[in-house]
Amino acid sequence: MTDTTIRLTQTVKGAGCAAKLAPGDLDRALCGLDLPVDPNLLVGLERADDAGVYRISDDLALVQTIDFFPPMVDDPYSFGQIAAANALSDIYAMGGVPKTAMNVVAFPAKTMDISVLRSVIEGGLDKMREAGVVLVGGHTVEDSELKYGLSVTGFIHPDRILTKKNLQTGDCLILTKPLGTGIVSTAIKAGLAGSDLTERVIRNMTALNRDAALVMGDFTVHACTDITGFGFLGHLAEMVVDSGCGVRIIAADVPHYPEALEWADMGLIPGGAYNNRDFRGMFVDFGAAVSRRFRDLLFDPQTSGGLLIAVAPNEAEQLVAALKATGIECAAVVGEVVEEPLERIVVE
Amino acid sequence: MLNDLDCRGLECPAPVLRVRQFIEEENPAAIAVLVDNDAARQNVSRFLEHHSYRVSSEQQGGRFRVVGTRTEGAAVPETMTPSPVREKRESGAGKIMVLITSETMGHGDDALGDMLMFNFLKTLKEMGPELWRVVFVNSGVKFTADGSEGVPVLRELVESGVGIMACGACLAYFHILDKIQVGEVTNMLEVVTAMKRADSVITV
Repeated sequence: MTDTTIRLTQTVKGAGCAAKLAPGDLDRALCGLDLPVDPNLLVGLERADDAGVYRISDDLALVQTIDFFPPMVDDPYSFGQIAAANALSDIYAMGGVPKTAMNVVAFPAKTMDISVLRSVIEGGLDKMREAGVVLVGGHTVEDSELKYGLSVTGFIHPDRILTKKNLQTGDCLILTKPLGTGIVSTAIKAGLAGSDLTERVIRNMTALNRDAALVMGDFTVHACTDITGFGFLGHLAEMVVDSGCGVRIIAADVPHYPEALEWADMGLIPGGAYNNRDFRGMFVDFGAAVSRRFRDLLFDPQTSGGLLIAVAPNEAEQLVAALKATGIECAAVVGEVVEEPLERIVVE
Repeated sequence: MLNDLDCRGLECPAPVLRVRQFIEEENPAAIAVLVDNDAARQNVSRFLEHHSYRVSSEQQGGRFRVVGTRTEGAAVPETMTPSPVREKRESGAGKIMVLITSETMGHGDDALGDMLMFNFLKTLKEMGPELWRVVFVNSGVKFTADGSEGVPVLRELVESGVGIMACGACLAYFHILDKIQVGEVTNMLEVVTAMKRADSVITV
C-alpha cells in the first residue's frame, strides 16, 4: 500500500458495490423503455447479464461493460486496483478476453489532493497491465465524491459466450472468492477491521478473475456470473429465474470471511444487503439451521467478488482442483442445480 | 423517561458506532435510538439484540425509533467481538490502560526481565476495578499466544472484566496470529482510541 494519511472511506457515503442503486429502482427506471433491436446484439440490456455482446463476424464478437463506484478501502492505489479488477471481471464472467479500457472518473478537486487521483489511476493501470489491457482514454468530471472505474471492451467467440442462463440440472456451482467484502468494508469504515484482515480482503478484491476464467475455459461450463453488488443470492437469483430448474446451496460450504459473521451480528451491514434481501429474498427458502447472520452474508453486496460457475457434475472436482492449483485456494463447490423446487434457491 | 440517542443524518456505520459508544459508557438498562433510514434501523436493532437487549421499533413518518430493554437476568454484554469493548461497570472509577511493549521488563538482563514481566502480569489484578485494558504490542503480544505462561493469567483478567488487546500486525510479524489464546486482535486505530478514552495510560 502507498503511504498516505487520507482515509478514502471517510470521504464517501456508500462504499464500493454497496453503493449500487437498489435493483428494484433500476428495473423501474428501465421498465417499458423502447430498447434498440439488432440481430448482431447477442446479449443486450433485456437479458440483464454481466456484459453486452455484439457480433462483428461469425467468429468474433465485442463484449463490453462498465463499472465504477466510490472507494470501499482507504488506500487510493488499492482502490484503483480494486475498481479495475471489478470492471474487468464482467468480461471474464462472460468468457471473454478484455482488450481495451477507458477510465471513468469523478473527482472532488476542491477537497482532495490531485496526487490521490494519480495513485488511484496508477492502481487501475497496474491491473490493466496485468490483464493485458490497453488504456485508450477516459473521462473525468468534478464531483463531490471520488468515484473510479473502467469501461472495458473485450473479444469473445460468438459461440462461446457464457451467460447467467443455461443452468443444467445436476450442475455443480463453484464460487472462487470468499463472501463478506461489503460487511468487512463497513467494518473498515468503522475503524474496526485489523490490518491483517484488511490486507487479506484487499488482496482478494484486487485479484483478477482472469485465472479462474482461463481455467474454466477447459471445462464443460454451462453458465457463469461474477458476484458483485446484488450479493451471492441476488446474482444467483438472476441465474435461477427462467432457468427451468432450481438451486440448492449448502451454506456451510460457502467460502467467506469469518469476521464478517461477527460484524453482521453487530449490525455493520451495508444498506445494499437489505435492498438485495428485500428484492430477491422471495426466491430463497432458508433452512432453519441457517443463522440470520449467514443469511445477511449471502445477501452482502460484494466488490470485485469471485466467479460463480455452473459446471457439469462429473467435472466439478477437477475444476476445483485446477482452480486451487492456480492459487485460488478458497474455490469450493457450494451447491448444485436441481429439478425441484422450480426456479427457487434452497439454502441449507 | 428515555432520552433518545439521535442518530439521524448519520451514514452507515456511524449509528451503530454511536450506540456502541453509548452502551460502553453508560451501560444503560434501556435505550432509545432515532434513525432516519431502514437499514440503520435494522443494523441498530441487530446490535442491540446481540448485546442482550429486547428490541422493538416504530416508524414515525420518515424516521424510526428503536427501543432496547436489557433482558432480565442477562449478563454484562459479551465482548463485542472482534472489537474489544468490554467495560468495567464500576461507576466513578478511573480507567487505567496498561500498554505492554515487550516480553521483558526493563533493560539489563533478559532472563530477569522475563521473570519480572510475568510477575508484573500476575500482580496487575491488584490494581482492582480501575484496571480497564491491557494492550500488548511488539514482542509483548507473545503473552497472548499459545504456549505462553501469560495466557491463564490474562484469562483471569478477562474474567474479571478487563479488556485484553493484542496488536494484530505484531502477532502477524511473529507468525502467531492464528495462535492467539486470549484477548482480542486489535489495530493501531483502536489502540490510539483506547489511549484517548483511558483516564491514564501506563506504559511498560
